[in-house]
Amino acid sequence: MMHPPALAALIDALHALPGVGPKSAARMAYHLLQRDRTGAGRLAASLTAALERLHPCERCNNFSETPVCELCANPRRDPRLLAVVEMPVDLNRLEETHAYPGLYFVLMGRLSPLDGVGPRQIGLDRLLKRAQDGVTEEVILATNFTVEGEATAHYVGELLKARGLAVTRMARGVPAGGELEYVDGLTIAQAYADRRPL
Amino acid sequence: MADRIDAEPAYILHTYPWKETSLIVEAFTAHHGRVSLVARGARRAHSALKAKLLAFQPLWLSWFGKGGLKTLHAAEWQGGALHLSGRALMCGFYISELILKLLPPDDPHEALYRRYEETLAELSAADPQPVLRRFELDLLSELGYAQTLDQTAAGTPVEAGGRYAYTLGVGVSPAAPDAPVYAGGSLLAMAARDFSDPRTLAEAKQLMRALINHYLGDKPLHTRQLLLDLQAL
Repeated sequence: MMHPPALAALIDALHALPGVGPKSAARMAYHLLQRDRTGAGRLAASLTAALERLHPCERCNNFSETPVCELCANPRRDPRLLAVVEMPVDLNRLEETHAYPGLYFVLMGRLSPLDGVGPRQIGLDRLLKRAQDGVTEEVILATNFTVEGEATAHYVGELLKARGLAVTRMARGVPAGGELEYVDGLTIAQAYADRRPL
Repeated sequence: MADRIDAEPAYILHTYPWKETSLIVEAFTAHHGRVSLVARGARRAHSALKAKLLAFQPLWLSWFGKGGLKTLHAAEWQGGALHLSGRALMCGFYISELILKLLPPDDPHEALYRRYEETLAELSAADPQPVLRRFELDLLSELGYAQTLDQTAAGTPVEAGGRYAYTLGVGVSPAAPDAPVYAGGSLLAMAARDFSDPRTLAEAKQLMRALINHYLGDKPLHTRQLLLDLQAL
């Protein structure tokens, strides 16, 4: 099917979103153009504004409108703690808990050896500089518990330990409120391996 | 080939996104070799399948379908093994990449599957180098890419005190001025899979690298590059 060039370009642009195939992209494009032209205008304007105004925070690498983001500039945060997460959504999840008082570094990815994603593609050199600011005492590795997240945690950990920093890894095991009867075997095996003295 | 396979012992080599919510799973199986499977809906937030599709874990996979891409419908953890960690994990990625890039799909390699499984277990040992060299040599031999190392291409036995070259596709040949030299003793030790001598280990690394690079053609080996990049940081 032939689309007018502007429509084809819009569908193509929407197709770039994760989890959006060509069919969904076409559906979204028609919806925006037919049913929600104001929404479409808002989307276009906010996308342009976001691209213009948002840049990586100098300290945590998360998106920010100011050179240093609000969280990094907050004097009530404990600057001795630095949590390393893969993506901004991971940072948000940690923040929602209100359990973590320290600062963050967002890698914007993970090492993925089989996809050719190496230390140069994620901000590892920036993290090394950030963690060696002289104030950070403990780096908490909060990457995902996938094989890629583990590989990332291992390498970041080795690099930081070699530079004299204390490095910890988020614990993994049976979830809060979890009953062994319903927890998957691998999680139970790992919880056993990571058991700690009472 | 049967349309439906149940509870086949397998390891996940790699997964990557496919369409909107699915995952393509590259698996190495005990009796069907390397297979590509679609895990439908495995990228949805609460997919029960996703958490089970972890690399380096012994699984039972069930799938149906013919041809190149089959449909995965169940994955069960076999239990027992623990996560690889640290350097062993990186070595695990490396042997998975070798299988992914060198082994043709849907071609059964039962002996190699057992070697992959043993190698994963051995990687947590102190020095992974001998473990990796042995796996590389077994992989290349299984694929018919490595000639016998205890005999020359002309059929004479390799002598421990001799000096030799290795010609791709031909085998052990007399030492030549512009080719890397391999000691006869190293070749005999490699043939016996004995990598305890540091010289054997070094020469094995050189020979395996030459063979692997040749058979990979222009496909890059990402894991090797990653290790180099990390050492440079």
